[in-house]
Amino acid sequence: MTCEELLQYLSDYIDQNLDEELTAAAQEHLATCHNCRVVLDTTQQTISLFREQGKRTIPTLRRQRLFDQLQDAFLQAEADC
Amino acid sequence: MYSEQELVTTLRRRDPDAFTFLFESYSDKVYRLAAGLLEDDMEAEGVVQESFLRLFERLDRFEGRAKISTWLYRVAYNAAMDRLRQRRPTMMLDFAADDDDIPAPVILADWRDVPERLLTEAEIKAELDKAITALPEKHKAVFILREIEGLSTQETADITGISISAAKVRLHRARLFLRERLAESLAQHA
Ligand SMILES: [Zn+2]
Repeated sequence: MTCEELLQYLSDYIDQNLDEELTAAAQEHLATCHNCRVVLDTTQQTISLFREQGKRTIPTLRRQRLFDQLQDAFLQAEADC
Repeated sequence: MYSEQELVTTLRRRDPDAFTFLFESYSDKVYRLAAGLLEDDMEAEGVVQESFLRLFERLDRFEGRAKISTWLYRVAYNAAMDRLRQRRPTMMLDFAADDDDIPAPVILADWRDVPERLLTEAEIKAELDKAITALPEKHKAVFILREIEGLSTQETADITGISISAAKVRLHRARLFLRERLAESLAQHA
């Protein structure tokens, strides 16, 4: 496998979507190619940083207000029927 | 806990507990997608509100072909993209074609331990925000849905109205783009 091919298959490799043959070829390449190893490792680090940081929620006060507004609209629809 | 079908049925009866369950289960998810795309908290809240109201209107005709979460995400995605188009009508939201060559990685320093070793939580968050802001929206949506919301490729494709193979390509591009951006800002510390 070449560096270009490794790059093309990188996401499928990370997600374990490659068949056995391609997985083996990727592993073989990664064992000897420092640059591709770094790209793989830093891509995985990128993903995990976003996964850890990504779980933001609606700010509490505004969340409560939104809840109240939507609940009113939800229950109001019944009264209209 | 409700099954999908129970939830639709109890929502149709305007059961307050079903509403609470719906809101607690999905409001933050929809908000994260909208806030990620719009980068504006108030507008993102508007999208949440719009999506839930739309669902209430449709409840009687909701056929359960899609999961409620998929349906809400899809409505929110479309609403957010509409708002983006209004905000900058001349801007092409699709400037990166899916079949363009994938750019080769440029920065090859290993910065993996930099965030934990040298940066505070807030600094890491600022770097991540800076990186994702620069990502084209259609890639951003797929990245948020797959990596942050943890959805499958199929669900992500359904929500954004693209094929599974396009969803895979966009995720791949998004990952490499974000890697490169973080590398630019972090490798100097390595
Ligand atoms: Zn290589």
